[in-house]
Amino acid sequence: MNVPTADPALEADAAVERKKKSKKPKYSRFTQQELPACKPLLTPTIVISTFALIGILFIPIGLASLSASENVVEIVYRYDTECIPQQSQDDKVAFIQSSATDKTCRTTLTVPKNMKAPVHIYYELYNFYQNHRRYVKNRNDKQLRSKEYELETTNCAPEATTVDGSPIVPCGLIAWSLFNDTYSFAIQNKAIEVNKKNIAWQSDKDEKFGSDVYPKNFQQGGLIGGAKLNESIPLSEQEDLIVWMRTAALPQFRKLYGRIETDLVANEQISVTIQNNYNTYSFEGEKKLVLSTTSWIGGKNDFLGVAYLTVGSLCLFLALAFIVLYLLKPRTLGDPSYLSWNRNPDRH
Amino acid sequence: MDGKGWERVRMARLGGSSASRGREAAQLRQVSSQTVRLGRVQPQAPSHRTIYCNDREANLLARFKVNSVSTTKYNILTFLPKGLFEQFRRVANLYFLMISILSTTPISPVSPVTNVVPLSLVLLVSLIKEAFEDWKRFQNDIAINSTPVDVLQGENWETVSWRKLQVGDIIRVKQDEFFPADLLFLASTNPDGVCYIETANLDGETNLKIRKALERTWDYVFPEKASEFKGEIQCEQPNNSLYTFTGNLIVENQTLPLSPNQILLRGCSLRNTVHIVGAVIFTGHETKVMMNSMSVPSKRSTLERKLDKLILTLFGGLFFMCLIGAIGSGVFINRKYYYLGLFEDVEQQFNPSNRFVVSILTMFTLITLYSTIIPISLYVSIEMIKFIQCAQFINKDLRMYHAETNTPALARTSNLNEELGQVEYIFSDKTGTLTRNLMEFFKCSIGGVSYGVGITEIERGQAQREGRALNEIQKSDTVVYEKGFNFDDDRIMRGAWRNERDPEIFKEFFRCLALCHTVLPEGDESPEKIVYQAASPDEAALVTAAKHFGFFFYRRTPTTVQLRESHVEKMGNIQDVSYEILNVLEFNSTRKRQSVVCRYPNGRLVLYCKGADNVIYERLAGTNQDIKRLTREHLEQFGSSGLRTLCLAYRDLTIDTYENWNEKFVQAKSSLRDREKKLDEVAEMIEKDLILIGSTAIEDKLQEGVPDCIDTLSRAGIKIWVLTGDKMETAINIAYACNLINNDMKQLIITSETDAIREAEEKGDPVEISRVIRDSVSHDLKRCLEEAQQDLHIFGQKLALVIDGKCLMYALDPSFRVDLLKLSLNCSSVVCCRVSPLQKAQVTSLVKKGARRITLSIGDGANDVSMIQAAHVGVGISGLEGMQAVMASDFAIAQFRFLKDLLLVHGRWSYIRLCKVITYFFYKNLTFTLTQFWFTFHTGFSGQRFYDDWFQSLYNVIFTALPVIILGLFDKDVSASLAKKYPQLYKEGIRNTYFKWAVVGVWAFFAFYQSLIFYYFTTTASENGHNSSGKIFGLWDVSTMAFTCVVITVNLRLLMACNSITRWHHLSISGSILAWFVFIFIYSGVMTPNDRQENVYFTIYVLMSTFYFYLTLLLVPIVALFGDFLYLGLQRWFFPYNYQIVQEIHRDEVDSISRTEFLEIGNHLTPDEARSYAIAQLPREKSKHTGFAFDSPGYESFFASQAGVYVPQKAWDVARRASVRSSKRTSQR
Repeated sequence: MNVPTADPALEADAAVERKKKSKKPKYSRFTQQELPACKPLLTPTIVISTFALIGILFIPIGLASLSASENVVEIVYRYDTECIPQQSQDDKVAFIQSSATDKTCRTTLTVPKNMKAPVHIYYELYNFYQNHRRYVKNRNDKQLRSKEYELETTNCAPEATTVDGSPIVPCGLIAWSLFNDTYSFAIQNKAIEVNKKNIAWQSDKDEKFGSDVYPKNFQQGGLIGGAKLNESIPLSEQEDLIVWMRTAALPQFRKLYGRIETDLVANEQISVTIQNNYNTYSFEGEKKLVLSTTSWIGGKNDFLGVAYLTVGSLCLFLALAFIVLYLLKPRTLGDPSYLSWNRNPDRH
Repeated sequence: MDGKGWERVRMARLGGSSASRGREAAQLRQVSSQTVRLGRVQPQAPSHRTIYCNDREANLLARFKVNSVSTTKYNILTFLPKGLFEQFRRVANLYFLMISILSTTPISPVSPVTNVVPLSLVLLVSLIKEAFEDWKRFQNDIAINSTPVDVLQGENWETVSWRKLQVGDIIRVKQDEFFPADLLFLASTNPDGVCYIETANLDGETNLKIRKALERTWDYVFPEKASEFKGEIQCEQPNNSLYTFTGNLIVENQTLPLSPNQILLRGCSLRNTVHIVGAVIFTGHETKVMMNSMSVPSKRSTLERKLDKLILTLFGGLFFMCLIGAIGSGVFINRKYYYLGLFEDVEQQFNPSNRFVVSILTMFTLITLYSTIIPISLYVSIEMIKFIQCAQFINKDLRMYHAETNTPALARTSNLNEELGQVEYIFSDKTGTLTRNLMEFFKCSIGGVSYGVGITEIERGQAQREGRALNEIQKSDTVVYEKGFNFDDDRIMRGAWRNERDPEIFKEFFRCLALCHTVLPEGDESPEKIVYQAASPDEAALVTAAKHFGFFFYRRTPTTVQLRESHVEKMGNIQDVSYEILNVLEFNSTRKRQSVVCRYPNGRLVLYCKGADNVIYERLAGTNQDIKRLTREHLEQFGSSGLRTLCLAYRDLTIDTYENWNEKFVQAKSSLRDREKKLDEVAEMIEKDLILIGSTAIEDKLQEGVPDCIDTLSRAGIKIWVLTGDKMETAINIAYACNLINNDMKQLIITSETDAIREAEEKGDPVEISRVIRDSVSHDLKRCLEEAQQDLHIFGQKLALVIDGKCLMYALDPSFRVDLLKLSLNCSSVVCCRVSPLQKAQVTSLVKKGARRITLSIGDGANDVSMIQAAHVGVGISGLEGMQAVMASDFAIAQFRFLKDLLLVHGRWSYIRLCKVITYFFYKNLTFTLTQFWFTFHTGFSGQRFYDDWFQSLYNVIFTALPVIILGLFDKDVSASLAKKYPQLYKEGIRNTYFKWAVVGVWAFFAFYQSLIFYYFTTTASENGHNSSGKIFGLWDVSTMAFTCVVITVNLRLLMACNSITRWHHLSISGSILAWFVFIFIYSGVMTPNDRQENVYFTIYVLMSTFYFYLTLLLVPIVALFGDFLYLGLQRWFFPYNYQIVQEIHRDEVDSISRTEFLEIGNHLTPDEARSYAIAQLPREKSKHTGFAFDSPGYESFFASQAGVYVPQKAWDVARRASVRSSKRTSQR
C-alpha cells in the first residue's frame, strides 16, 4: 500500500492562487522614500551670502528706524519726589494719604525742539505690577460689557461688592486703583487744552466697555484706591479707565493721558500744574510726566533701530570675516580627506 | 470509571506511592517534568475531564468552553476604561493628568483648557490607534471562527463554522485543512490509521509528523459507521504542554490508554491524507496552542530609555525653575503693594503674613504654568512616526522584497526602528540564514574517481582572494536543473556510467543512494512531479541525485522500496524493481550513520550504509586500499571546498548471518529498557566489514549576497558573530566563505576536541570530565587573551575567535565570563559552533549586558527563538515555512542580505530622524517655557501667565505639531544608495553621535538664547507708543507678539534642521505658521457671548496697525536664528560630520529614481538567479533542516531528547514494523 498522493488538480489550483497573491509592494515615491526634495547645503558661500544679505537688509532698516526715533521730541519729567513739599519728604505716604493736604504741584518745562501737534501726554509709573496675577484677573469683563451682567462680580474680590452687598461697577482691583493724577498746561498763562478723547483703542471702547454700563458704588468703601468716576457717563466713554484697564506687560509702563493739539515751539516754557493724588509712595514707585511727539515708528524708541543696526553690522562683519577666512584657508567642498575613516584610518 | 490506564496516569502524577509501580511512575514523572515548554506551564487541575463522544446533551452538563476564540484586547465596554488605563501608565500622560486636575484649582494661573486640550488630543490619537489595531484582530478572529468544518450530524457530515464546534463532536478534517480544535484522532483514510500533520505553526518544524489512531477506532472513517461511535474520553484538564497528553478512551467497557500520538492539535494541518475523523476534546481557548500563546515581551529601544533620562532632566529643570519662582514669590509678596488688595482676609497664596505657604502654593502654580516644558505630544508623535516608518517604509520597501518567495519585509513591532540604526553586534544563525538550507548534490567520488564539474562559491571566493583565475567548465546543454541537484558530468549522466571502468560499483552507489534513506515520496509517481519528503534536505538531495542517475525511487510501502531503474541491463532499458526493506538502522547523533538491510528480487541480501567518513572508515573491510586512499583524498578536497560529505558502503549478507542477527535485532527492539542503546549495539554487530563504494558531496549553498553584505556591515563597524550547531570545520568553512574570517586574521580556537578532554571523556567520569574541560577552557582563555592583547595592540592584526559549545558552556561560567567578554570584544569576528539554543541566548545576553552594546540576532528556526528574544533587536528570516523565529522576532526579512537595507538605510534614517525629532521637541518646548519663565521675574513671581490659555494649549498640538512629524518621516541626509556605499556612516549611530548630552546641551543653549531674545526684544521694544496716535500696548498685545515670533522661529528652526526639504516640509511649515495666523485672526476677532476673559480681543489687529509689529516680526526671528545659523555654519565648515562630506561629494547628483530598476526585476535574471527562481517555482518541498544531516550533528533533536521532548514516530517506523512482520513470515516459510 502506498502513501496516497495529493490530488494534482488541487495542487494546480494552489499554484494559480499563489501567483495571484503577489505580496510585492506597490511602487510609490512615498513608500520608497524617494520624494523629490531639495537639499540645501550650508556651504561657505551660502553662509557668507546669507550674512551679507542680512547685513545689507538690516542696516538701512536700522538707520531708518533710528532716524525716525531721533525725530521724536520727548520731554520726561519725574515728579514723584519734587511734588512733595519739603516738610513732608520724610513721610510721603502720610502726605499722599491725607485728604487735608494740598497736592497741587507746579513746575515749568522747557520745550527743547519744535514739537508738532499732536503732542502726546503720558504718565509713566515704575514698580507698579499691573501684571501681577492677582491684579490681572481682578476684573469682570462681562460686567464691564453689558448692563445685564451688573451683578457679575466673579474674580473681583476684595472690591466686588459694597458692605451691603450691592455690586460695585466697575468691580475689581484694577478699576479700584485707577490712576488719578491730573495735569494741566499753560504757556505764558494761557491754558493749553488737553484733548482726552480717543486715547483708548477703538476695539476696547466698542466691545469691551458697554455704553449702557454706568459706574455704581464705585470708590464708596472705606479705602479709596484711586480716581472716582462720573456716574453719569457710561464706561465706554470713560477713556481713562479703559486705558488703565488694558493692563501693562511690565512693572514699568506708560499710559496715554491725553493730547495737546497745538504745536509747541522750541524753548517755549510750559507751566505744568499737577494734581499729585496717586499713591506710589507706599511701594517706592516713581511717577513721570512725558510729553512726546510721534513719528511713523511711534514714540521715541531707539531699541529697534539700534538692534537692527547692531545685527546688520555684525552680519556684515561676519560675512567679511568668513570671506577672509575662506581666502586664507579654503574649505574644499566634499574633500574625502575630511571623512573620519580617512583622517585616522587606524581606528577604522 | 477508574480504568487501569487512568490509574496509572494518576499514579504518575501523585509520585508513585506503590513500590511495585515506583520505577515506572518515576520514569513517567521524569519525562513530564522535563517536558520542553513553550511559555509557562500552568499548574494542572488535579481532576480530569470526561467527554462523551458524539453526545451533545451529555457534554452539556460539563459546560466546556466554546470553540470561538478571541484575541482582542478590548471589547466595547472595556475599551474606554482599559484603554485609558493603558495610556495613563505612561508617566508623561499621568503627569499631564495631574497637571490638568491641578489646573482646575484656584492655584492655577491657567485655565484647565491649557492642559486638558493637548492631553485629550494625545489620548484620542493613541486610543484611535489602539481601536484600529484591535479592530483588525477582531476581524481576524471572525475570519478564523467562521472557517467551515464538517461535523457529524446523525449519519451525515454537516458543514458548520468553527465557532459552533463543541467538545465531544465527531468531525471530519480534509487534506491541507487546519484542525479546528484539539482532536482525538479516531480514523483516517490512510491504511494503518495513520495521518501526516504539519506542525509549523506550533514549533516551526515543517517536516511531516505521523499520528496514529488506536487500532480499535480505525473503522470510523465514514459517517454511517462513525455515527455508531459512542466512546467516553477521560483525559487531563486543558494545559499548555504541547508534547504531553494523558488520557483514556473507554469504548464498550474497554479502556484504551491514549498518548500524544492520537492527539491532533489545533494549529496543525493535515497533509497527505484525504481526510481524518476525530473527536473534539479541547476547544477554543483551552486548546494547547491557545494556552501557549504568550505575550511577546515588549522591547523598548535604547534611545527611548535615554529619552526617559532626558525627560527626568527636564523634570529636574522644571523643579529648579519652580523653586526659584517660589522663593521669589515668598520674598516679593508685601502689603505695600496696596493695589493688589492684600488685606487681612486675602487667600493663602498671597498672604504676606505667611510667606512659606505663599512659596509652597506658588510652587504648584508654577508647575502648572511651566508644564509645557514636558513635551506632551512627544510620545504620540514618536509613535506615529515609527508606525508610519514601519508600515509604509520598511514593510513596503521594494529593495527588501524577495521575489522568489514572494516575501516583503515585515516590521512586527514599531518600537525598535531607531535601534536598528545603532546595532553594533549581530548574532547570526548559520543554517537558513547565512546558508540557504538548500542542499545540492554537487560532486561525488565513485570507486576512487571524482565526478562533478561544478565550482563552489567558496572555491570561487578563495580564488578571488588569492587572485587565481578559475577555468569554469561550461556545463552541457542538457544539464538538469532541479532543487537538490546541481551536478553535471558527462561521464556518468544519462547512462554513460556503463562505459566506465567498473560499472558494477556504480550500480551499488546508485542503489545505495536510492535505497538507504527514510524519504517518503509524495505526489505523482513520475520523475518530474514527484516530491520527496525528507527529514533533512541532504537526504532529499541524495534521493533526487539517484533519480537523475537513473534509479528513480517512486514508491515506498511498509515493506518495500520500489525503484524505476534505467540503463541497468542495457542502455535505454527501463524497468521497475521492488526491493524488500528488511531493517532500517536509523541515524542518530552517536551513530552518525544509517543503514538498511534489503532483499533484491533475486534474493540477494545487502546492507547499505551511509555515514560520516570517520565512522564508515572504522567499519570497512580490510580490502581495496586504493579506493580508500583515493576516496579519502577526494573527501578532503570536497571538504575544503565547503562541501558536506558522506561515505557510502555496502555489505553482502548471507541468509544465516542475517537471520542470526535479525533475532537479536527483534529482541532489542522489543526490549523495554535502554532500547535505543541496545539497538545501537545490535546495529554495531552487522555494520562491519563494509565495502567502500565512494562518497557524495553536497553543497550547502550560501544565501545570495551574504559575503558582500557581511563585508559591508563590517565596514559599518558592526561585528558579526556566527552561532551555529554545526561542527567546527563546517562553521569555519562557512565563516571563510562569508568573508567573516580570512587568511589575514589570526584564528584563536578554543575547542573541546583535544586529546586531554577526549581521554577524560573516554573514562566517563562526569566530574572528571567537567574538571578537565574547565581547566582547559580557563587555560585557553588566558592564552588567547594574552595573544589577543599582543597581536591587536602590537601588530594590529585582526583576530577571529572560534569556540565550541562545550567550551562555551564553561566559558559562560561567571568566573570566566569577564575574560570571554574581553577576548571576544577584541575579535573582529567570532564563531561559536555546536551551541545549543540556550547558549545562543546566553552569548547574546553576555554581550548585551556585559558590554552594554546594542545587539541584533538573526535566525530562521525554532532554535533561534531564545536568541532572537534575548537580543535588543530580533530579526527572523521569513518566507520559509517555519514561523517560530518570525513569530518571536521584531523584524522579519526574507534574506540575510536585506540586513544591509534594514540597518544601513532604514535603521540609520530612523535613528537620525528620531534623534532630531526628540532634540527638536526638547528645544521647542524649552524655548517656549523659558519665555514664560523670564516673564515670571517681572510679575512679582506671582505666576501670571504670559500667553493666553489657548495659545499655550495649541502650541504643541497645532502650531508646531506637524512639521516635526514630517521631519521624522522624510528627513534624509544621504540617499539610500549612498548610505550603502559609505557604510562607515553607520558608525555615527553606534557611537550615538546625535543624541549625546553634548547635542542636547547645544540645543538647550540655543533654546535659552532664543527665549531671551523673544522675551526681551518684544517687551523692551513695546514700552512706548507704537503708532502716530500714541496709544499704548497692554500685556496681551505684547504676548501675542512674542508668541507670533516664537511660532515663526520655531518652525523656521525646523527647516534649518532638515537635510532634504520636500514639498511636505514646505506645506507643513507654512501651514503651521498660517494656522497660527488664521487662529489668531478668528480668535481675537470675534467676541463670544459666553464668559471668557477677552484678553486677546483684537490684539492682533491692534498689533498689525503698527510698524512695531512688522519691524519686530522681521527682527526677532532672524536674531533668534542667528546663533543657530552661525553654529551650523561653523560646525559644517570646521568640524563636518561624515554625512555632510558625503553630501558634498555627491551634491551635484540627482537622486536616481529607481522606479525602472524595480520594474525590471524578474526580466533580467542571471542564469543563477533564473535557476533559483525556477526552483522556487517548483512545488515546495515541505522540509527543513532539523539536524538529520550527517554532517551537522542533529543537535536539535539531540537537545530535544535531552530535554525530554516527545519525538514523534517517524515515517520509517511503519516500514520497520512491517519489516519485522515480514521477516517473521520469511522465517515461517
